[in-house]
Amino acid sequence: MNKASAALLFLFLGLWLGTGCRHEAQEPVDPCASGTTPLQLDLPAYAPPPVIPADNPLTVEGVALGRRLYYDTLLSLNGPYQGFACASCHHQDKAFTVPTAGTNVLSHANLGWSTHFLWNGGVEGTLEDVMRFEVEEFFQVDIQALRARPEYPALFRQAFGTCSITAREVAMALAQWMRRITSFNSRFDQYLRYEGTLSPQELSGMNLFLTEAGDCFHCHSLPLMTDNAFHNIGLDSIFSGTGVGRYAVTGNPFDLGAFKTPTLRNIAQTAPYMHDGRFQTLEEVLAFYSGGVHHSPSLDPIMTKPGTGLTLGLTPQQKADLVAFLHTLTDEDFLTDPALGSPF
Amino acid sequence: MSRFRLLLLLVLALAACKKDGPAPPQPQPASTASTLLLEHEVDAMGLAFDSILYVNAAGHAYGVTRLEYYLSGLTLLGSPGTPDLEIPGPWYVNAEGQTAFKLGTLPGGTYSGVAVQLGLPPGLNQTGALPATLENLNMAWPDPMGGGYHFMKFEGHFIHNGTAAGFAMHLGRNEQLVHCSMPATFTLDGTADTLALRFNLNEVFRNPHTYDLATGNQSMGSMVLMGLLRDNCADAFTFEHRP
Ligand code: HEC
Ligand code: HEC
Ligand SMILES: [Cu+2]
Repeated sequence: MNKASAALLFLFLGLWLGTGCRHEAQEPVDPCASGTTPLQLDLPAYAPPPVIPADNPLTVEGVALGRRLYYDTLLSLNGPYQGFACASCHHQDKAFTVPTAGTNVLSHANLGWSTHFLWNGGVEGTLEDVMRFEVEEFFQVDIQALRARPEYPALFRQAFGTCSITAREVAMALAQWMRRITSFNSRFDQYLRYEGTLSPQELSGMNLFLTEAGDCFHCHSLPLMTDNAFHNIGLDSIFSGTGVGRYAVTGNPFDLGAFKTPTLRNIAQTAPYMHDGRFQTLEEVLAFYSGGVHHSPSLDPIMTKPGTGLTLGLTPQQKADLVAFLHTLTDEDFLTDPALGSPF
Repeated sequence: MSRFRLLLLLVLALAACKKDGPAPPQPQPASTASTLLLEHEVDAMGLAFDSILYVNAAGHAYGVTRLEYYLSGLTLLGSPGTPDLEIPGPWYVNAEGQTAFKLGTLPGGTYSGVAVQLGLPPGLNQTGALPATLENLNMAWPDPMGGGYHFMKFEGHFIHNGTAAGFAMHLGRNEQLVHCSMPATFTLDGTADTLALRFNLNEVFRNPHTYDLATGNQSMGSMVLMGLLRDNCADAFTFEHRP
């Protein structure tokens, strides 16, 4: 081979590499390139596989940025919640809720598997979608304020390789952070993994929960302790205002009074209970399920018990056992893990 | 640089970029791209959710809010010259969700019928036997009740004493696996075939037992009630080959 033909071949090879194999061609020097480290969620074998969109993989940098944004009041310079951070209403030690009057705050535990968000499922899609809603509609985040801060542009550049911060990246970072908020180390989990035991009373409660006697499992299904669906459990028989629940979104009369099944993970930490916080204690909740269910045409079929009655008729002992079982769903690590707390 | 090294480079480059290179021609398999299709009806009416439109054999008006089930052990029954063809599945069906499933390549031949199970075979009807998808997790049959999965969740409301009451026809446990068999002569000939199964919900409530929702609105805790449903469901599916 002479020099000229070798050069030609080289040229050909270079061209061919450049077009046929674009991903291997030399990268243009990008001043906004990201430097991300993939992050793997630490999940037990019985957890459903994580749902992670291809365009927003979990990274150490993305999660760290999301966490910072979540705890930063800078997000609420505008809009109706000035001075708030997300964490103002979502406290880690209360499983990311806070006791309120009015619409009850929903926990963040394992939201990565949700497909509908808010009590009435008003926001549908991925965590990215609901975070877009939080950023743009709920908080009306002032993106300019993030751009103007010394630290954020660099953090966004690291996480997403972008020089311009938009609502999209803010939502993506928050979504990564939300996906990281997983709770699978309660005493019940340890029992499921043969790492720990439950007391006889807790086991009795578990058996009530997981059989027709208590019939909780159909909606609070393992291991997320929610079926991610909507049900009218019979808190009321007449519905108005936000009490119409899912009906406000679908217009389906069978959705009247139906609300998102909340996870029961860390339930002992998240009083008050139900969408409107009407019950202060788990004992009140059990009294309701046992004998306080109201009839209405949209009452969930599961709430009509054998013989078409509405009462479970649990004994005081059975109710106490169920409450004891619910306490085993508390995940102390989750409530105290510094990695889930404020970075400030 | 030697010719050899250049060649090597070229080969390496080609190998590294296989996905972008020209694809070698694939031999066309001369077989069927078949689909299993589930359709849901109540006697002659198509299934519409969330309206009390139907009447069952016991005379109760009812409507449907949920219909989820597993099918497994689909068998195309052979004929002389064509062996039985087993396609194990399982398939999780949500009548409000996915109802068509690719079966891929099926050998051609003339078949004499179709058999299928409503439910899961004992080997799969164990807690954790199916992948931990949300669908499978929500179909779980709790361990204290025997473990495994619901074979079927068929829920809705029926008119009882002048008002809507709930019913939940839940079926599970190995004893209650439903075997359905449908004679039909059909030929798979190498084109795209659809194997359609039509599930008539009124059959759940009749033949051989007239099922009374007023006394059996919840079946899950009762082997007796589930036994009635199992017997009734044996003829709940009809088969249609759509070439
Ligand atoms: C003023 C209190 C408050 C603040 C601040 C707040 N939230 Fe919430 N959050 C709530 C309440 C109340 C609900 C339930 C509302 C509903 O369902 O209608 C909720 C629900 C949610 C949900 C839905 C959970 C589910 O199970 O569907 C997510 C996700 C969420 N918040 C994330 C955030 C993020 C992210 C921020 C910051 C951008 C934030 N929240 C700020 C009170 C707050
Ligand atoms: C038909 C489905 C269904 C069944 C069965 C069911 N739940 Fe619920 N549960 C829900 C829904 C939906 C809510 C929220 C209802 C609302 O706020 O309107 C809820 C709320 C709760 C809450 C309050 C959660 C919170 O964060 O405020 C507790 C505690 C609870 N359920 C425990 C139980 C127990 C214990 C059982 C069995 C005795 C049970 N549930 C049976 C669907 C169900
Ligand atoms: Cu059931």
